[in-house]
Amino acid sequence: MLKGLAGRGGLYGLLVLAAVGALFPMVWLLIGSLQTSSELYRGKDLLPAKPQWSNYVTAWTDGDLGTYLPNSVIYTVSAVIGILVVSSMAGYALARIEFRGKAAVTFALLAVMIIPAPASFIAQYKLMVMLGLTNSRLGYVLILVSAGIPISALIMRGFFANLPKDLEEAAAIDGSSALNTFARVILPLARPGLIAVAVIQGLAVWNEYLLALVLFDDDRLMPVQRGLMNFVSAETPVQNILLAATAISVLPVVVFYVFAQRQVVQGISSGAVK
Amino acid sequence: MTVRPLERVALRVQPASRRRSPLARRRELMAYVFLLPAAVLLAVFTLVPFVQAVVLSFQEWDGVSAVTSFVGLSNYRFVMHDSVFWSSMRNVLVFGVAGFVLGNALSLGMAVAVNRVRRGKAFFRTAFYLPGVFSVVVIGMMFSWLLAPNAGILNRLLGGVGLSGLQHNWLEDPGTALPAVAAVFLWYHWGFGFILYLAGLQDVPVELYEAADLDGASGWAKFRYVTWPDLLPVTAIVSLLTLLGALQVFGTVQVLTNGGPGDHTMVPTLRIYQEAFTNQRFGSAAAMSVIFGGALVLLAMLHLWLSRRRR
Repeated sequence: MLKGLAGRGGLYGLLVLAAVGALFPMVWLLIGSLQTSSELYRGKDLLPAKPQWSNYVTAWTDGDLGTYLPNSVIYTVSAVIGILVVSSMAGYALARIEFRGKAAVTFALLAVMIIPAPASFIAQYKLMVMLGLTNSRLGYVLILVSAGIPISALIMRGFFANLPKDLEEAAAIDGSSALNTFARVILPLARPGLIAVAVIQGLAVWNEYLLALVLFDDDRLMPVQRGLMNFVSAETPVQNILLAATAISVLPVVVFYVFAQRQVVQGISSGAVK
Repeated sequence: MTVRPLERVALRVQPASRRRSPLARRRELMAYVFLLPAAVLLAVFTLVPFVQAVVLSFQEWDGVSAVTSFVGLSNYRFVMHDSVFWSSMRNVLVFGVAGFVLGNALSLGMAVAVNRVRRGKAFFRTAFYLPGVFSVVVIGMMFSWLLAPNAGILNRLLGGVGLSGLQHNWLEDPGTALPAVAAVFLWYHWGFGFILYLAGLQDVPVELYEAADLDGASGWAKFRYVTWPDLLPVTAIVSLLTLLGALQVFGTVQVLTNGGPGDHTMVPTLRIYQEAFTNQRFGSAAAMSVIFGGALVLLAMLHLWLSRRRR
């Protein structure tokens, strides 16, 4: 009994320690972002004597976050919508329609998925140059959508396959066209799948960095990750301002995650098990 | 020659078993139409570049002009002698091994621990995955601040408890830079495997544990003979994804050290990026990406084959 209690205490001790380890860097970033420069570099105090909220104002204007954040919102929303439309159509065909070449298409999707980014980003850049799609919102969104398709189509296929077998027939008897059945009957039933895909791909697109680095050198078009790096490597801004800019950039993600953590967890699991 | 309607119908008559109803045929057409957007996008933006990378590795390109010229194997000869590229391959093994061994163990261990407690499960799960939603840029800012030589909290803590002998300029000292970046990478990524292991643990049938209890099995025996075998498929996929993710590391390194000091933290993807965009040698960058990308693909296939055979 006593041993069990001690074991339980030890277990919680371990978990709390790990939680502190996971949360501390974010907390420390927030603390740093509210200090004055001299407090920061003296490095004696743990907490700011008086929180410097003005750091955030400076970070917003000097870091041009008023440009980068809306850009990121545009890219994330358009890419997620694109991924949802294209991958739910493909997933539906794979899950619920008999057609010749199905096995080959499924295999091709899996094969495309194991092409690693380091193998193709140089050639992707060349392609975009040739198509005139560097420094282009459209080009960036198109390449993000195609990166998200394979895994999302497979996730959607799984969700569609689990729906009752004779839905389409029943709808057809009621006089609904195939397209109408897909849009009005099937898609609403596959909502958990759509949400899982949207949440996971939304995070992936918001955090995307390599392609944004390669494709943009026009400040006005950059998403926030790329823009933030611009700010960091520019005319050596002060550390506390940089920390504040980072905090602003990460705030939407953290808020989103706290509210949607159940869906995030579900999305990760449904993506990897397939 | 024109075919009259009646003959056309006659031509289509097939043995009953292979006949498809008009409805089935229309649905087949619908399948192709539904697959078309995905097929076009993947062909243009993923497959063509993959093939193009191979072609480009035999060419010369400066990144701007429309002209590329074939140069035979000279890019590959150049890469063979690029010692930085090969040491980047060695460095990335540190990330691979750290992720595969330490990351996997940490993910599994913490999943088992969280699965055993009754209160606070959701809190621990949320906290442990939080780093996973940050971008590499955020990770970079966070840890260059934490690991800063003077004002950084790690060195301050070490000084505070009288261990100032252990203080380092973590990211700029050649001896500590690679382990430090690998540690940050671990911190960033272990939550992913943790989530998958936790989901897997919740799927292990309770009856198996009850049966083991009846047999008087110890905690370790239950883990070894019930949990572990049941989790094997999850372990296979987590270890593959962790390994591939670790070998492809780019942003974390680029933002924290940009490969320095003196290439001590150089990794292949960063080397490929620099060869193309700093040195303007897209041909040899493509050769590197063929060598490295090919190795990754082979590794993934080998791993899938092994874990399928084990089952």
